[in-house]
Amino acid sequence: MDYLRAFMDIFGTAVLLLIIVGFPLYGLAKRVPVYEVFVDGAKEGFGVAIRIIPYLIAILFSIGMFRASGAMDFLIAGVRPVFNFFGIPPEVLPMAIIRPLTGSGSAAIVADMISKYGEDNILVKMVATMFGSTETTFYVIAVYFGAINIRRTRHAVPAGLIADAAAFIFAVYVIKLIFG
Amino acid sequence: MLNYIWAGLIVISLVFALVSDIRDSARDTYRNGQPLPVMLAFPSGIDSTVRTSDVVIRIDTAAYHRFYRTGATPDTAYTGTLVRTQRGTQIRFAADADLPEPLATIWKTSQSNNEELQGRLVNAAPVDSNSIQAGVVFEPARYVKLHAITAAAFDLTDAAVTLALQLIGVIALFLGLLRIAEAAGIVNALVHITQPIFRPLFPEIPEGHPAMGMIVLNLTANMLGLGNAATPLGLKAMEELQKLNLSEDTATNSMVMLLALNTASVQFVPPTLLVAIMGLQVNELMLPILICTFLSGVVAVIAAKLLGKLPGYRSTDPMRQPPAGDVAP
Repeated sequence: MDYLRAFMDIFGTAVLLLIIVGFPLYGLAKRVPVYEVFVDGAKEGFGVAIRIIPYLIAILFSIGMFRASGAMDFLIAGVRPVFNFFGIPPEVLPMAIIRPLTGSGSAAIVADMISKYGEDNILVKMVATMFGSTETTFYVIAVYFGAINIRRTRHAVPAGLIADAAAFIFAVYVIKLIFG
Repeated sequence: MLNYIWAGLIVISLVFALVSDIRDSARDTYRNGQPLPVMLAFPSGIDSTVRTSDVVIRIDTAAYHRFYRTGATPDTAYTGTLVRTQRGTQIRFAADADLPEPLATIWKTSQSNNEELQGRLVNAAPVDSNSIQAGVVFEPARYVKLHAITAAAFDLTDAAVTLALQLIGVIALFLGLLRIAEAAGIVNALVHITQPIFRPLFPEIPEGHPAMGMIVLNLTANMLGLGNAATPLGLKAMEELQKLNLSEDTATNSMVMLLALNTASVQFVPPTLLVAIMGLQVNELMLPILICTFLSGVVAVIAAKLLGKLPGYRSTDPMRQPPAGDVAP
């Protein structure tokens, strides 16, 4: 496992370097005015950060109230027997519910879990992996089918949700295997 | 759907808080207005002329259990201060005291602006020259959970704004880098690798049809985390697929497959928001994310294929039995 963790660290650093160094170098090779293009893209960072604020507030405050009222503990205790049977920590349930519905909202849940459990916690790694390995299923379906006026979506929603469920379960087991 | 979940969170919070507070007041959990018996020891002797003096507060465990009807056990001794004011004598626990429930809750909800848990000293009776026996009446704790949920709502609203502002830097960095990749045509460079992988998943699309090109571009842009570039390409792919569709408003198998691959989001570059929130901690999650996203992508493909074979979905397939005389050329 130590070798695996060392490899993962190298892999992660390599991917980050590929993005941070590789992309500009590739752009340079393709004769892209890299500096101007970078600044142009980075400008949108403010817009994105401001745009997600309402979503972050909506999810963070409702989850915060849910936690403060004691309802979260009740829910977690309620599903614990079933989840334990499958070896899944019940604390990841809110992420599983919110993830297919809102992207910024699930980012808020990752942030909330970091403030509750700390960055290094295995639960945080699980929800972060869930966040990273799935998409906002309902949003994608609404946008893509809405654009061409498809109303009968047939098996698109079930297929998307099955893939989400699979990603959640894989996230729990993969993280457990590596960091558990 | 999200409307109900969100409103549900808020309503359930309120209901839980109400029930919990009603139960607390019925059980008299906080013993509001009643004195908790304590022993006060004065290390420097009793001197009733000074305004404040240091004290050691001892709470008898058995008495504590009896008084609050709880199993939580206080420390053997707490440091604190005794303050004599015109309105009476106050006892203050040190701000770093590790208090048992329900004292911890009383401390958190007490209205005073002071950092310490404080209470009024009553029925003081000297035991010896250095210590007295007394009762402490704390600030009444009422509607504890209702206060807690409103406080949480306000605190987390602040937290959300702070968080978003902290994220600006990394989001900007990534959007800038991804824009370079986009402008350099990195998507087009990878298409000839990804094309053979995706082609067999869309048997309905005729050879050489532009729909396939758009699909491959969309999925490749997704792999690189180029969300901004991927969406227009995906919409273009959907339009091309709609041209092949024999129905106006029913999804074809190819559309469902494209959507399944998009929602499973097979990607090598993690989402910008995740990178921004996790910071460099995201490093060690890259490989797990890659493994999970790949496996869930496989599940998505299998699910889309198998569900399409179910009788219910099969009979609604607009490509299955083209109505006679209405066949596209």
